[in-house]
Amino acid sequence: MQELTITSGRMNPGIDPVLHAWGWEIPVYLFLGGLAAGLLFFSAYFYLKGKENTFVTAVKTAPMFVPVILGIGLGALFLDLSHKLYFWRLYTTIRLESPMSWGAWTLMFIFPLSVLWSATFLKDVFPSWECKIPFVARFIEWLKKKRTWMAYGLILFSAVLGMYTGILLSAFNARPFWNTSILGPLFLISGFSTGAAFILLMSKDEEERKMFSRIDMVLIVIELFLIVHLFMGFLASTQVHVEAAQLFLGGPYTAVFWTFVAGLGLVVPLLAEFMEFRGVHIPVKIPALLVLLGGLILRFIVVDAGQSSRWLYKFMQ
Amino acid sequence: MGPFYKMGFFSEQTGFVIALLTGVAFGFWLERAGFGQSRKLALQFYFRDMTVLKVMFTAIVTAMIGLLYFSLFGWIDLSLIYINPTFLWAQIIGGLVLGIGFAIGGYCPGTSVVGAVTGRIDGMIFILGALLGMFVFGEIFPLIENLYTAGAMGNITLPEYFNISSGIIAFIILFAAVGMFVGGEWLEKKFGEEEA
Amino acid sequence: MKESKFMSPYVAGVGLGLTMLAAFMLMGRGLGASGAMMRFDVWLLNMFASTHTASNAYFAKYAANPLSNWLVFEIIGVMIGGFLSGALAGRLKFVIGKGPRISNRNRLYFALGGGIIMGMGARLARGCTSGLALTGGATLSLGGWVFMLCVFAGAYATAWFVRKQWI
Repeated sequence: MQELTITSGRMNPGIDPVLHAWGWEIPVYLFLGGLAAGLLFFSAYFYLKGKENTFVTAVKTAPMFVPVILGIGLGALFLDLSHKLYFWRLYTTIRLESPMSWGAWTLMFIFPLSVLWSATFLKDVFPSWECKIPFVARFIEWLKKKRTWMAYGLILFSAVLGMYTGILLSAFNARPFWNTSILGPLFLISGFSTGAAFILLMSKDEEERKMFSRIDMVLIVIELFLIVHLFMGFLASTQVHVEAAQLFLGGPYTAVFWTFVAGLGLVVPLLAEFMEFRGVHIPVKIPALLVLLGGLILRFIVVDAGQSSRWLYKFMQ
Repeated sequence: MGPFYKMGFFSEQTGFVIALLTGVAFGFWLERAGFGQSRKLALQFYFRDMTVLKVMFTAIVTAMIGLLYFSLFGWIDLSLIYINPTFLWAQIIGGLVLGIGFAIGGYCPGTSVVGAVTGRIDGMIFILGALLGMFVFGEIFPLIENLYTAGAMGNITLPEYFNISSGIIAFIILFAAVGMFVGGEWLEKKFGEEEA
Repeated sequence: MKESKFMSPYVAGVGLGLTMLAAFMLMGRGLGASGAMMRFDVWLLNMFASTHTASNAYFAKYAANPLSNWLVFEIIGVMIGGFLSGALAGRLKFVIGKGPRISNRNRLYFALGGGIIMGMGARLARGCTSGLALTGGATLSLGGWVFMLCVFAGAYATAWFVRKQWI
């Protein structure tokens, strides 16, 4: 028999029954948030570069999906809230030190902005569509003149949104696996990479696909670099961080992380895109789908693993 | 001293990552040899393309000799290696059934996976069939449980069964393999198609 | 890009043999394929009828964590390796492999039928060409060698009846 002496109520399933508080909702929300940030960033960036007629899918078509994607993501987040009726309270306060507050306010700006931004491209994407309400039509015409300003705003907010999906987790100091500053950039890059993959998946233009395939390659390399640094950072840190990293280096998350995130989600698409780049014929949809799937699984694993990593009482597991 | 996993060098989860990498190499070589294409595999049974035989026996001989030498050098403890248990009658009947399926379907389970990922539609259908067949096997298992365990002989090896040293067995296999390669080349020349 | 030629069977065979040797050295076990399919089967069944899998003497062996297994990850690797090799050689395309004298639809029926027969045979013999013939062959397992000879015997005996499919 193993004897346990419990000296604290913290992390004690008998007292604090919900140790794994987050299910599928938060990872899905983080994934869709990152994806939307990536799509908006590329759309705005290539608009500013004057490529709106070269990279049609990226600049004009992709933003159409963003309000839907963000809507589903926020829906998932809303489902996760325990006190659904009080979500508006996030907007009664601005707290610079709280990433929750940052995220809520960023979404407050970026969501309507993405709707307006895609509205200005509606006529390009659906040429047969005609706005019946004169007031709205005039408003869209007016917005078109403001596209440059909107694009700058989008670049700023999409970067914040992408970062925030990771920082949201790093703010939980009580979870060693999340307690790293690399999570922000990692989720930002991963989000942009899924955005590029999404565009690759939809684009029918050869030149555009080449461009985004190349962007995706660069982003994947950065992501791999960040992942290596994430683990090196943990291993060089305190005992609990080392233990958090061990979850992925021999522990219960090892196989699923290295197979589905690092292998199928990053290295295989990287190789496939590299071969494509060198002239080997590969259906570009395959690496794109793998990147999207890998991004989703990354968030699931990070959210789940973070909740398994503890500061105290390792024996409770 | 190997095998490393059995010696406790790494955890089961790390083993899965090694499994993944091993699988990558496995799939790579299978595809390189042309095993993703059912017709190439099946022509073996008409003496027109002996690739299956050549690849299989080269692989067996390579791994077998490697194991024997590693054991001789003391790098690996052969008693820790998993030896497929022998159930003589189950494996005779199972082998015949599987051979019939091979000739009809044109793949075996491993090669069908390679075929499917390189876009062979017959490979994908074959996998579907194999999944179905395994399901049926599980469902009728109570009826054939006696056959499934028929001829149980434990983890017996050829050297143990014939009471000859493993070196001599390995030599006989090597000799037979070389004989088959020569015969295979001759058969290919006689029945084979011009390089398709 | 043009399809490149296949590698010499002897080189590929040595590569395969060394892969197997590495598996023995690292893990103490060889390769395999059909076990992963079985586990996938049970995983699917578990989702729809978990009480049924638990009550069946054969499925129950695999019922606990069917996908958390060496063979399953190995087969994912096989998919990756096969895909990359096929891509490098320019052999990625949707086709149906068959001889010139059979229709596509009939070939697919044959593939399905052959798959079903093979699935049952592989479970009865506790392995397939990779897991039992190759691995058992290299470890000099009696059952592996008997099985291998029977596979060839069964295939050669059937070949004549299905010749229209391939030649």
